[in-house]
Amino acid sequence: MKVVGITTQQEVFVGSKERNFRINEFLIIEDPYQGSLLGEVVEAKTFNRYIPLNIYGDFVDSSVLESLKALGYNIDEDTIYIAKIRLLNEALYPIQTGSDVRLPQFLEVKDLMIKSRVDEGLVLGIIKNTDDLAKDMDDEFKDLLHTFEEGDLLEQRDIPYILDIKSMHHYPHIGVFGGSGSGKSFGLRVILEELMRLNIPTIVLDPHFEMDFSQPASYLDDEAIDFKNRFKCLQVGTHVGVKFEDLTAQDLKNLLSAASNLTDSMSNVVDILFKPKDSYYSFYNRMQMLTEAQEEGSLDRIENRINNAADPEERRAWMERKELFISYDKTCPYNSVRGIIWRLRRLENDGVFSKDIREIEDGLQNGKLIVIQGNTRILQVFSTYLLNNLYHKRREYKDALYKKTEADYFPPFIIVTDEAHNFAPKAYESPSKSIIKEISQEGRKYGVFLILATQRPTLLDETITAQLNTKLIFRTVRASDIQTIQEETDLTMEECRRLPYLRTGDVFISSADMGRTIFARIRAALTTSPHTLNPFDELKSKFKEDDEDFLKLIMDKLPINDIELAQLALEIEQEAKITYTVNQLEEKLNKLVEKKHIKKEETIFGFRYNI
Amino acid sequence: MYNINDKLKEKVEDLNQALRVKYRDIFELDKGQLRDFINKHIGQIKKMDKLDRAQLSLYQSKGGIVGVDGSVNKVGGAYPHFIEIYQAMAKCTNRREDPVVLADIYSPLYIEEEEMEEDDDLFQNKRDVKLATLEVEAAIESVKRHKPYAILMDGGLIRYNIDAHDSWLELRGLCEERGTIIVGVIKDIKTSIIGDMIRELDGKINSTIYDREILFGLLDYGEMVLVKDEANKKGPQGYASVFLRSSLAPTVIGMDIIDSQRDKLEEMAQLVFTLTPENSRGVPLWLDIVDKEVLISDELIRSLLEQYMDRGLYERFFISERDKRN
Ligand SMILES: Nc1ncnc2c1ncn2[C@@H]1O[C@H](COP(=O)(O)OP(=O)(O)OP(=O)(O)O)[C@@H](O)[C@H]1O
Ligand SMILES: [Mg+2]
Repeated sequence: MKVVGITTQQEVFVGSKERNFRINEFLIIEDPYQGSLLGEVVEAKTFNRYIPLNIYGDFVDSSVLESLKALGYNIDEDTIYIAKIRLLNEALYPIQTGSDVRLPQFLEVKDLMIKSRVDEGLVLGIIKNTDDLAKDMDDEFKDLLHTFEEGDLLEQRDIPYILDIKSMHHYPHIGVFGGSGSGKSFGLRVILEELMRLNIPTIVLDPHFEMDFSQPASYLDDEAIDFKNRFKCLQVGTHVGVKFEDLTAQDLKNLLSAASNLTDSMSNVVDILFKPKDSYYSFYNRMQMLTEAQEEGSLDRIENRINNAADPEERRAWMERKELFISYDKTCPYNSVRGIIWRLRRLENDGVFSKDIREIEDGLQNGKLIVIQGNTRILQVFSTYLLNNLYHKRREYKDALYKKTEADYFPPFIIVTDEAHNFAPKAYESPSKSIIKEISQEGRKYGVFLILATQRPTLLDETITAQLNTKLIFRTVRASDIQTIQEETDLTMEECRRLPYLRTGDVFISSADMGRTIFARIRAALTTSPHTLNPFDELKSKFKEDDEDFLKLIMDKLPINDIELAQLALEIEQEAKITYTVNQLEEKLNKLVEKKHIKKEETIFGFRYNI
Repeated sequence: MYNINDKLKEKVEDLNQALRVKYRDIFELDKGQLRDFINKHIGQIKKMDKLDRAQLSLYQSKGGIVGVDGSVNKVGGAYPHFIEIYQAMAKCTNRREDPVVLADIYSPLYIEEEEMEEDDDLFQNKRDVKLATLEVEAAIESVKRHKPYAILMDGGLIRYNIDAHDSWLELRGLCEERGTIIVGVIKDIKTSIIGDMIRELDGKINSTIYDREILFGLLDYGEMVLVKDEANKKGPQGYASVFLRSSLAPTVIGMDIIDSQRDKLEEMAQLVFTLTPENSRGVPLWLDIVDKEVLISDELIRSLLEQYMDRGLYERFFISERDKRN
C-alpha cells in the first residue's frame, strides 16, 4: 500500500494491488519526513483499467473474460484498490506521495478505540472493519460478545465498542436515531442489558410493551445472563400509578394536560378548587357539587332546593353546594369545571390514581431497571408525574448534600424512552417535554441522564436534541431526517450519504468524548422481545392448527361422498359439538384437498374425499 | 452560430461525389452477388465457432497465448529536436507477472553526423524499423522464456518481414523449430485482393478498391474468408491470410500466418474470434490489454527525462515553444 496522487495535509489517496479497503478502517502512513500518521478510510473504491466502460465505450462481454481465464489470465487480478484516507490529526505538511502505508498495531489505536474498561462501560457491539487490528488485542477485550448477521451468530472478531458511561458526567445524554426496522429497538435492548449488567438504576418508558428481558434470545444456547432479578415490568394503572394525596396543584395540572393542553381558565379552576391533601374523591366531589349548583343557575333556586329538601341529608348537601356556589361560581366557569371533571375521570378510569410509585423508587434504590408500560397517552401522563417526582427527589438529595442538611438518599439514574418525539415533541408544548427539557439541560449536575430513541429526529424538540452528546445513528432514509442528523451531529457528508444504505444493526456513533464518528455493529442481544413472532408466521401456524384440528375430526370418516355431507355435519355436531353447514364443510374439505392432505376423486356417484 | 466556410463545404461535397462515382460499380453489386464472387474467386466464406473452455484450457496447458505490441512516445518539437521512446512488450496469458519488456530510444541529435537525414520519409521508416525490430525481439525472448502455444502479433507478419527482416527470420525459424504458432492480427487491412480480382475478371473497375471498403458490412458476425493462394498472387510469398468479422461492428480485420503453419490459420481465427468482445472494433481483448500495458503516459516520459537528464540540456534541446506555453 502506498500513497498515490495529489495529497494534502488532511487527506490522501492510498492504492494497493492486493488489499481491498474497507470504509472506516485505520491505516498508518509512514511519511519519510513526518513519521507515522494515523488515518481512517473514508472512501473505498476499486478500479480495473481493462473492465471499465472505456474499452471503446462498451462493457466487455463476460464470455471473453471467461475465455481469458481459461487461457490462464484472470482479469480480476488487474483490479487495483484505492482508498481515500482522512488523517485523524492534520499533518504539518502535505503527505509525501509514495509514502508506505501499513496496518496499525492494536496498541497504536487502542486509545482511540477503547475508552472504558469492560466492567465500567456498556459493551454495545463491535467497531466495524477492525478485525485486522483485533488480532493482537489484549485478551480482556476478546470474546465479549457475538454478532448476529444474516441469520448466523458470529464470534467476535473485531475490537469491541464500549460506551464509556462514566463520560456521561461530562457529555451527558444519548440519542438513538434510525428509520423503521433499522435496529433502534434492538440497540436499545442491548443498551438496557448493559445497564442491567452494571446495576445502573434506570427507568424505561415502554409504549410498545417490548422491553421485557425474561426470554433468552433464540440463537443463544444457555450462556444468557439471567436478568430476571435485575428488571421489573410495571404497568401503569395495574402496578403503579399516582398517589393523588401527594400531588401538588402543578402536578395535577401536568397530569391533566398531558393528553392535550389545559385552557387558562381550566388551569385556573385547578388552582382554585384543588386543596393540598385532597383525595381524588374530595376534589372530585367538590367540582361535582359546584357544577350541580351552577346547573341550578342562581342563588334563589339553590335556596329553593334547600327549603324543599326531602330529608336533612339532602338539605345539608344543598347547603354545601350553596357555599361552593358563592365562593367559586364567579371564578370557575361551568364549562371549565366540566372539562376538568371529564379529564380527571378519564385518568381515574385508566387506573392512574389507583397505585403509587413506591415500587419504582424501591427498584431504583436497588439498582434495577424499571420498565414502565402503558399506551403512549397514559405514559405521557404518567411519565410527566413520575419524572418530575424522581428528578426532584434526586435533586433534593444533592442540594441537601451541598447545603449539608439531612436528606434521604436517592440514587442517580437514567431515563430511557423509545418514540421520544411523543414525549418531547418539537412542534408544541407538553408537560412531559418540559421535564425532559429540564433534565436535558440540568440533569448532568444531578446525575440524571436521558437516552432518547426516535424514528423521527426532526420531530424531536431541538433544544433537547442539541443536549444529546452521544448519538447512535442507524439507517435513515427520509431526507428531512438526514438533514437534521447532518446539522445535529459531526457526521461527514460521506457518512450521511451512506445512511440510507446501512444494514440493520449497523450504526454510526458520534460522541463528543471520542471526537469522531465510529462505525459499529450492535452486538447480538442476549434476550428477545416478547413479540418477535412474524405476523405471517403467526397466520400460518394458526391456519395449520385449524387444519389439523379439522383433519382429526374427519380422518376416521374417510372416504366421504359429497352427497353424504349433511350426514357428516350431523355426526360432527353430535361428537365434537361443533356445528358446520354443508357449505362450510365442503369448503373445509376442499381446502384440505388443496393443501394435499386428502384427495378428491371422481366416482359415478359424484365426488369422493379420500386419504 | 458557427459558420463553416463555404469553400470547405464545397470541397466536402466534391469528395462525396468523387467517392460515389468511384465506388458506383461496387455499390451497385448486391450483397449476394459480391458474396458469390468472393466464394468463387477469393476463398470460401465460412462461419466460425467460438472455442470452448476445454480447448482454451488445452492452450493454457500448452503454454498459453502471448500478445505482442509496441508503443512510441515522442517528446520535443520539430526535427531534429525530439526524442522518441519505443517500448515493446510480449505478455503471456500464463505468466501475468513476467512480461518481456524491451525499450529503445531515438533522437536525430544522437545519430552520427553522416547518418543525419532530414528526409521525413526516411525518418518514418527508421521509426518503423526500430519499433518492428523491438517487437520481434520481444517475441523471440518470449518464445524462449514463456514457451507459449501461440503468439499474436499486433500487426501483419509481412510488416515484420519488411521492417525487421533479420530478426524476423530468426523469430520465424524459432517458431517453426518449436512448433509455436505465430500470427499477425491486422486491425487496418490495407490489401486490395478482392478489388484487384474484380478488376482482372470484370475489367469494369479501373482504380484500386481496398478490401476493407468492399468487406465493410459484407461479412456477418463470426464469418471469415480464408484467402486462396491464387487470389493472393500479388502478395509476398510465404504467407497465408484470412479476413474475419470478429465483432458486431461492420468492419473486418485480417490475420496472416507463415506458410508452414497455414493449417492452423482457421483455428487461430477462431481463437481471435473467441477473444474479441462483441461490442468492440474487432480486436481481441488480449491484444488490447497488452496495448494498454505497453503504453507509457507522456507525463511519465517527461518526468523520466527531467529526472535523468541535465536540466539545461533537456530544456535547450527538447522543450518546444508549444510545450513552454502550457
Ligand atoms: N444488531 C442487530 N443484529 C441482528 N439483528 C438485528 C440487529 N438490530 C436489529 N435486528 C433485527 O432487525 C429487526 C428490526 O429491528 P428493530 O425492531 O430494532 O427496528 P427499529 O429500528 O426499532 O424499528 P421501528 O422504528 O419500526 O420500531 C429486529 O427484529 C431484529 O431481529
Ligand atoms: Mg422499534
